[in-house]
Amino acid sequence: MILTILYGILRLALWLLLAPLLPGIINKVKAWVACRRGPPVLQLYYDLARLWKKGVVLSTLASPGFIAAPAVGWVAVVGAAVLLPLGPAGATLGFRGDVLLLIYLLALARFCTVWAALETGSAFEGMGSVREVSYAVLTEAAILAAVLSLCVHSGGLSLAVILTPSAGAGAALLAAGLFTVLLAENCRVPFDDPNTHLELTMIHEAMILDHSGPPLAAILHGASVKLLLFSVLLVQAVLPLGDFSPLVATGVLAGGVLATTVGVGLVESLLARFAFKQVPFLLTLAFLLCLFALLVAWKGGAA
Amino acid sequence: MIVGALLSTAALGLLVGFGLGPRHSRAWLGATLVATAASLAAALTVLLGFEPTWEWSGSFRIGGELPHLRLDAISALFLALLSVIGGAGAAYSRDYWSDHHYPKSAGRGRFWWSGLVLMMGLVLVEVNGLHFLIAWELFTVSAYFLITLENRGRKVRAAGWLYLAASHVGTLCLFAFFATLASRTGSWELGPQLRDCAALAPLFWLMLAGFGVKAGVFPLHVWLPSAHANAPSHVSAILSGMALKIGVYGIVRFSGWLPTPAQAGWVVIALGAVGALCGIAFAFAQNDLKRLLAYCSVENIGVIMIGLGAALLGATHGDAPWGRLALAGALLHVWNHGLFKALLFFGAGSVLHSTGTRDMSRLGGLWKQMPWTAGLFALGAVAVSGLPPLNGFVSEWTIYLGLFDAGIAHSSVAWATMPVAIVLGMAGALALASFAKAGALTFCGAPRTKLTAHAHEGGAWMIGPMLVLGGACVAIGLAPALLWPLIGRVAGAWNPAWAVADAAPASLFTLGYVHVALALLALVAVLALRRRSTANGLRRGLTWDCAYAAPTARMQYSSGSFAGIASGWFFWLLRPERKVQRPHGPLPESACRVERVPETVLEKLIGPVGEGALRVSTAVRRLQHGRLQSYILYLVAGLAALALLVLLEGTL
Repeated sequence: MILTILYGILRLALWLLLAPLLPGIINKVKAWVACRRGPPVLQLYYDLARLWKKGVVLSTLASPGFIAAPAVGWVAVVGAAVLLPLGPAGATLGFRGDVLLLIYLLALARFCTVWAALETGSAFEGMGSVREVSYAVLTEAAILAAVLSLCVHSGGLSLAVILTPSAGAGAALLAAGLFTVLLAENCRVPFDDPNTHLELTMIHEAMILDHSGPPLAAILHGASVKLLLFSVLLVQAVLPLGDFSPLVATGVLAGGVLATTVGVGLVESLLARFAFKQVPFLLTLAFLLCLFALLVAWKGGAA
Repeated sequence: MIVGALLSTAALGLLVGFGLGPRHSRAWLGATLVATAASLAAALTVLLGFEPTWEWSGSFRIGGELPHLRLDAISALFLALLSVIGGAGAAYSRDYWSDHHYPKSAGRGRFWWSGLVLMMGLVLVEVNGLHFLIAWELFTVSAYFLITLENRGRKVRAAGWLYLAASHVGTLCLFAFFATLASRTGSWELGPQLRDCAALAPLFWLMLAGFGVKAGVFPLHVWLPSAHANAPSHVSAILSGMALKIGVYGIVRFSGWLPTPAQAGWVVIALGAVGALCGIAFAFAQNDLKRLLAYCSVENIGVIMIGLGAALLGATHGDAPWGRLALAGALLHVWNHGLFKALLFFGAGSVLHSTGTRDMSRLGGLWKQMPWTAGLFALGAVAVSGLPPLNGFVSEWTIYLGLFDAGIAHSSVAWATMPVAIVLGMAGALALASFAKAGALTFCGAPRTKLTAHAHEGGAWMIGPMLVLGGACVAIGLAPALLWPLIGRVAGAWNPAWAVADAAPASLFTLGYVHVALALLALVAVLALRRRSTANGLRRGLTWDCAYAAPTARMQYSSGSFAGIASGWFFWLLRPERKVQRPHGPLPESACRVERVPETVLEKLIGPVGEGALRVSTAVRRLQHGRLQSYILYLVAGLAALALLVLLEGTL
């Protein structure tokens, strides 16, 4: 019993401590492509520590929900991350239908971010919220199609079962679809530009303009956990980790997450942000990719 | 035995309330609360299995038929919800529609409230077709009088009229349904014995149309938005929370009692998917808070239909276990939707009560004056968006499990359930968008107009019922496994093949624990973050509008602009009407842009059909104009025609 709890805490700590590494790696890759030196890989850790010690400036309009929402959103994202199995280590708490809980926990985090953004009455944050909730309709469809294809392929309904075997013949389709969803859900180029300070072009950054101090730290940390979550999900969905020995599988998982992160950095370096009118088309494309993966999984099962 | 006594108490309480209502508001409230508590106890006794069914038949005749009442698990499920909403609404109306504010209509409101609750309860326990129809008609009419309580407004009267007309189209189908049933079986008696008569299967469609109008199944929902928006809010709450569910009850009840055609499941699940997506698309585009809630009911009825359709498919595919899961989800969603929608309508009612407007583009920043209402509305918004750890997620999750399992089982049904699962996900995302909009635009940000200046929190009688409903939403979310035996009993009453007494699936237990853990962690995180923030020093400042120092409330996103992107994707369905007056010259005098989403189905689909019918009737009416000479001419012509007929017959 105590061992289980200790093990759970260890895994949680792993998630919380490793997550801020990813944005640092992405920034390093971008700097490398642009022949710059770039910020240190650990920059986000420094930022978080600094923000945690800082005071808070609240909008005069903000209600207590303005501080509560980032906290609830952070718990939702971390909860979703803890549900995810980690290669050979399996899931801490696998149960049938946990994959749906994961999707809806991310939705809860979205609700919290949007609510907090609208608390300020700012036009910019309204703009970000509208984009966030609208594009989510399409990403939700893509994620559900991807999950369905994994379920149909593996014949299970819990994350530990559906992520163990390879994605089969539809793996390439699924990888492309899920990678696009990863970019959209984590507000990366070509959907959003996390670096720009032109608010008109942003989604996520526009929603958190008014946050400062510890709540901003919670939001930034939550966003990095979400990025790690999607990378781990993508790698496990596509690669047959169950076929390797535990040691190799761990290495493959870590390598896969690293490769995904570098991939995000490369996309960000080589691609410009799309015009907002094109975003729905790209998301529809992601949905179609996942849908075809589902059809392939269906055919594969019937044969 | 106990159930009989409890139900008699309930009926007596409601009848006493019926008599006392117009004059004595306190005694009426007491009687109604006692009655609803008694009927809740009766329903729970049956649901918990202490008394599997309660039956009573009289020895006297009403309309030539012996009265026959039965309370089984299915009826009890709906009766429990009716009791909760009936009681909560009565308490809420004490301050909301008091004699002080509405001296003319408050008494009438109490009178018809008792009538409505009594008749809905009667519909739920009636097993004689003729008496069912009578109770159904009385229930419809009571609801009409409640919708039109404030009958001075033209819009209210129009909404009431539309409701009455649409309801009677439904009732007409039900007349045909029950009459055919009676003529085929030779008795008005209803019950599971009908299932053995395969020739009755086509009647399913008549039943679906009749009850579908009342349930607000898309596209038969045309009466629903205007009736819900214009009725007093406690009436909207019971209409949406319970009256729609009576339609669902009819569909559940008779799809269990009647043999179903092979296509039934496919049609019901398709209707559900279309309703869920279209309903929520309309909801997102609304500017009127209560209209948004009303369209969201169309969506939730769609979700229930998805579950029920999957259950019908499961029943026809060898009583598959995934069908039982989907049915359990649908039944649980009946409760959940009733609870959170009543909560949201009460919240909207409090806003309307204190500001006088339902237009979200004129509201904003109400959390300062109405902190309780704001918090409870936010809770309801999370629940209705189907987010963990509240009750809406539990039922949607169970429906998802049914749909996914059908896909995994590789049955042919997967061609329906997998697309429907994706549609359900999209509808969920749109619901989140709609309720982030409804809640945050109304209660957060800066006040958009002066209407909110004098807003005030409702009294204890308005907050109390909302607290009860909110508490129920949280309780179901945190302990879903406790409800499994109840729902299992109802599923067994619907399809005897599923009447297995089993423990809740392990995953439902785990989900409950995870929900509790999440709720506790969220609480701890909120407190910790607040503490840290205050310890570091809190400072208030102007909203950061990118260095613009004089932001105004008009610069905020309005309800129309919030829906801009996503409702643009549904323009083929919503067909918004735009009036744009562009600014001209360097110093434009005026400019405006008005966008309205019409009742598309009503105006573009039902309207023209109705107009055609009206034109035909007007043409026929020309024959009847009151001129005696012409009537005599008709008579002579008729007689001559008859004589001719007889003559011709003779010669042939």
